[in-house]
Amino acid sequence: MIRNRDLLLGLRFIVGGVFIWAGILKILDPLEFAQGIDNYRAFPRFISFFLALVLPWLEVICGSFLIFGLFRKASAFLVSCFLAGFLLLVTSAILRGLDIDCGCFGSLSRKVDYKLIVADSLLLFFSLNILFLRKS
Amino acid sequence: MNLKRLIQHSAFILALGSALGLLSNTGLIKRYFQGEFRHAFLSKEEYPSITFITLEEAEDLFSGGEALFIDSRDKKDFKKGHVLGAVNIPFVEHKEEALDLRSIPLKKTLVVYCDGSECQSSVALSKVLHKKGFAPIKVFFGGWLEWRKKGLPVEREDDSQ
Repeated sequence: MIRNRDLLLGLRFIVGGVFIWAGILKILDPLEFAQGIDNYRAFPRFISFFLALVLPWLEVICGSFLIFGLFRKASAFLVSCFLAGFLLLVTSAILRGLDIDCGCFGSLSRKVDYKLIVADSLLLFFSLNILFLRKS
Repeated sequence: MNLKRLIQHSAFILALGSALGLLSNTGLIKRYFQGEFRHAFLSKEEYPSITFITLEEAEDLFSGGEALFIDSRDKKDFKKGHVLGAVNIPFVEHKEEALDLRSIPLKKTLVVYCDGSECQSSVALSKVLHKKGFAPIKVFFGGWLEWRKKGLPVEREDDSQ
């Protein structure tokens, strides 16, 4: 685990910034994101739709809270849950041979591949470090 | 931090996010319940020339000879069998610019299909066609599976040569 507090502050800005950016792009085009979720063929259509309306706002809120230090642990916990869920979804898409966009950055999304798993795992590692940081 | 507080704070964030997400999209929610996004999450305003058609409508267009059928599945599946007279434009994500659309007339009715209701390449290809000015575009969401099941005219690559 990372113990350097300056480094952890940097990680909060990185994870928070990525989530705010990803969330805003999706808020601007919720239908594109709904289609992106639906392409994973993992949920019924109405779930894809409502996830597309709510998840981007949660990303922006959690990202902002991480940066401003509000509800830091809960934000890091939720961000970790989102990242873990996304990791599962991407892995299952690769195993099923789906040739789809990740849907992670709205219209700027990239293709689902192993590089995405690495990037996602790295963000998860960062958010878990923020979550399990002990007060000195 | 204790677990109880973590759960309370997480629940607060979830409630706040859900409220903002739902309240800021009431128009879309209304359109969803009116059945507008039954086949794909496409906005009528953004893609006005794209509509979704049933097997019967596709059959009528085929019989009338007024539409060009476009098969968005990959080459291998197309060779195994396709709608009689259909043109194959395999859709691959992120390779939209490489699509060869020279054989497609700009103002003819296009019927785009893929495997069936589960596949999305017909919708994705239709969006590209729309952006390039083709119209009108009709997505036959029942696709190849429905067409073949009803025993409508088909051909294989060997037949057409």
